[in-house]
Amino acid sequence: MRIENRAGSERALVGLILLEILIFAIFGPNFFTTGNAFEIVRLGVELGLLALALTPVIVSGGIDLSVGSMMGLCAVAFGYLWRDAHLPVWAAGSCTLAIGLAGGALNAILISRFKAAPLIVTLGTYSLFRGIAEGLTRGVDNFSQFPPSFLALGQGYIGGIVPAQMPVFVLFTAGFYLLLHRSIYGRAMRAVGFSPSGARWAGIPVENRLVLAYTLSGFTAAVASLIYVAHLGQAKSDAGTGYELLAITAVVLGGTAITGGKGSIFGTLLGLCAIVILQNGLRLAALPAELSGILTSAILVGTIAIGRLKSAPPKPEIDQAEDEVKNSQVAVLSAVILAGALIVAGTNVWLVRSLKGPETKAASGNKVVVGMLPKAKGDPYFVSCKRGAEASAAENGVELIWDGPTDVDPAKQNEIVEAWITRGVSTVAVSVVNAPGISTVLRKAREKGIKVLTWDADAEPNARDFFINQATPQGIGSTLADEAAAILGNKGDFAIVTGALSAANQNEWIKYIKQTVAEKYPGMNLVAIRPSDDDRDRAFAETQTLLKVYPNMKAVIVISAPAVPGAGEAVKQSGRKDVKVTGLSLPNLCKPYVHAGVVQSVVLWDTQNLGYLTVLASKLAAEGTLHAGVTSIDAGKLGKLEVKGDNVLLGKPMVFNKANIDKFDF
Amino acid sequence: MKQRAIAIGIFWVILLTVLTLRAPGFFAGGNLRDMALSNAPALLVAVGMTLVILMGEIDVSVGSQFAVATVVAGLAAKSGLPLGLTVLVTAIAGALLGSLNGALIIGLRVPSIVATLAAMAFWRELLRWTTGGAWIQGLPASFQWMGLSQAGGEIVIFAATALIFGFFAWAMRNLRAGRGIYAIGSASEAARLAGIPVAGLSFSVFALLGALTGLAAALNAMRFSEVQPNAGAGLELKAISAVVIGGASISGGRGNLWGTLLGAAVLAVIAPSLTFLGINAFWEKAIQGGIILGAIVLERAAAGKRSARAH
Repeated sequence: MRIENRAGSERALVGLILLEILIFAIFGPNFFTTGNAFEIVRLGVELGLLALALTPVIVSGGIDLSVGSMMGLCAVAFGYLWRDAHLPVWAAGSCTLAIGLAGGALNAILISRFKAAPLIVTLGTYSLFRGIAEGLTRGVDNFSQFPPSFLALGQGYIGGIVPAQMPVFVLFTAGFYLLLHRSIYGRAMRAVGFSPSGARWAGIPVENRLVLAYTLSGFTAAVASLIYVAHLGQAKSDAGTGYELLAITAVVLGGTAITGGKGSIFGTLLGLCAIVILQNGLRLAALPAELSGILTSAILVGTIAIGRLKSAPPKPEIDQAEDEVKNSQVAVLSAVILAGALIVAGTNVWLVRSLKGPETKAASGNKVVVGMLPKAKGDPYFVSCKRGAEASAAENGVELIWDGPTDVDPAKQNEIVEAWITRGVSTVAVSVVNAPGISTVLRKAREKGIKVLTWDADAEPNARDFFINQATPQGIGSTLADEAAAILGNKGDFAIVTGALSAANQNEWIKYIKQTVAEKYPGMNLVAIRPSDDDRDRAFAETQTLLKVYPNMKAVIVISAPAVPGAGEAVKQSGRKDVKVTGLSLPNLCKPYVHAGVVQSVVLWDTQNLGYLTVLASKLAAEGTLHAGVTSIDAGKLGKLEVKGDNVLLGKPMVFNKANIDKFDF
Repeated sequence: MKQRAIAIGIFWVILLTVLTLRAPGFFAGGNLRDMALSNAPALLVAVGMTLVILMGEIDVSVGSQFAVATVVAGLAAKSGLPLGLTVLVTAIAGALLGSLNGALIIGLRVPSIVATLAAMAFWRELLRWTTGGAWIQGLPASFQWMGLSQAGGEIVIFAATALIFGFFAWAMRNLRAGRGIYAIGSASEAARLAGIPVAGLSFSVFALLGALTGLAAALNAMRFSEVQPNAGAGLELKAISAVVIGGASISGGRGNLWGTLLGAAVLAVIAPSLTFLGINAFWEKAIQGGIILGAIVLERAAAGKRSARAH
């Protein structure tokens, strides 16, 4: 094992971060401001805590894949303890931390006492922790309405500018720094990472040091989870999904060797900065979010590969590098931070002087800028909405920023809106994943004078100006139940294939399907609800199984756009002519199956019109034409549309079947 | 590591017994066929993954490779390429993605978990960016089932999977390259000194995993009439879990393909058996994790007993 010149790779990272700052300061409106600097800190805290905890783990030659799932488990546990066990917040929080310790200890025991590989153990607990969280909540339960004193931990500011979670992060950074660089424990972990048997011969209690690293990792994940819940105002089983990979990326980018033995907290902080600044900068510059994954992975491989190319070809080398952080490095770090703070402060003064007011609407002159946020970018449903939105933007002279989460992460929506507030847009239009989670951010946007619209799915009514109402969950649920009843002749067995088990919308629709069936169709019987994870292939396999387990089931209600063709294909391949599928999907995806007679009907509204109307209404709201008290608006090609209270009504959901589906192209 | 496979085998037999008593319909020919078909692509990927893990390496980018290859298959078929060529092009595309991993890992000595972690994010996000999530539709009618009848297409998928599995199961025991992979996983430097072309063989194994992933993507895509670009999400975890449950050592050198087959079979029956037994889907992930951890504990217990006897 060779030691590379770590100071060199850290210099390269500092250079990279400075380059990022330079680029985004030019292209990202309001990127280079004190407010944004603190926003970046806030967004980085949960991820940063995980990365800090993973540093000793990876230095000791191990890995912990379970930290993201641990966040989900802790969030749910906290919710139960507070809401159902009626514990005060501090007690619930303490118990949650204990659960984190216990989960970490489980990993630790399996790894140290049972001598199992960390990758395998934590792959197991990765599934186990998330699975328990989903099982306990049945995917549905969603805890919110936490007391404001708790929410302040994730949303508040100290002295009006410093995010409340910052002291926690600083404390943990200091703690992990002392542990890894200034204590015998850190020294021991490093030795274990180099060579466990060598460490043992040197008299290091290898097992105990590993137990410490993994237990701390579980504990820190619990802390991250509490901050995450306070930040989003909501606890759900999907908290922290995918965070483990990003945290590992930050650690490795920071120069910690994945094979163990070498690494520093300072490097991890740099790696974290590089990732979080990139994400934030891309959002402010209105560049697609996918770029952050692409660039991060390129940088990750690039930095390591360049390091390898520079170093001599493999030959035994004597360890010369002192692996502790030198005082000179601490001095360099302090100097960089100081210089950064001075530059930011200086620019801020300059900005305030030159603009004389809030920095919003700086960039694009008089043109209305609309930030439009779907639930997920890759979903065919939202791809279709986007087409309508783009057409509308071109027609109405609006600058449209379309961005959203690329995968299921409820925190991403908040981060994007925060970025748009900092950037300065005229209107934000959001298709809400988590109403309680995002409403705080939306209220903040309104305070800053930005018009807030919701579309597709609503937020809390006082968090937005208008809701573009395409159809209520109740309308969708009852229409789907009616369609299933038509297939079944009002009585018999049916099943539901949903998206992800914890998807809020789908669970809302299921609630109304059940309600309608209970009220209108007592002869109908729901036999099973199965997840498809919005994957056509999984929906196919699940429907195949359902067909065999429940031979009397004659109808399947599928409530995920990509899953309807999957279920249709399963029915088609089974050759069963007596079973029909209905569901919520796009006509274009389902046409072949509707014509083949396996999909009876598809329920939806015109998605392109929804996108069209949202952009138009956003413009009208920004210009003041759409304001409280208006009863109708002139919606261009859609004609005159009714405004009822604070709802702009698009119309009723449509039912597409053999007779009419070919008339639609979306 | 045999104990782990035995522990898992015991669990599997218990599950199957419960199913026999509670839901005999599970063993109907149709159900077994459908489960095997749905999981054949994952098995092909797990075969390649076994070789990589036997070398002491890992590849977490197979899910993204699978997605890219699926889109390649769709585009090739849509451009009017004959089906045989479409499959070939898809497998080659997979092999190229695998070679790129191999080049980073062997050529530039980037640790495999880092290189493939980067590749995973890179290809998935690049695909999302370029396709925008749009499906590939309007493929030639002959795309589904390779122009054969449904039964004919199913037989082709089975035959291809069985043939490839059988070949590698044989080759790992009998071919020089197969033994070389075990040697590299046991002690890479010793293998090099023994005259095994470590770099070339390691590179080929990554390329091979890519090719198998590409082939799996093509075979999977041809069960349907349209192509979805987000295919293969979570495939890497499924493949790695199958290998690990099957008893392979993650540090290389120990394990075999029959174990992987057992691991894949266990993972394949969990979701359907829950439906058959009427257990709620919400506990599925917990059960999956529990099986892996249970196998570790049982394995350790068995190993402990054996060493106690030896003393």
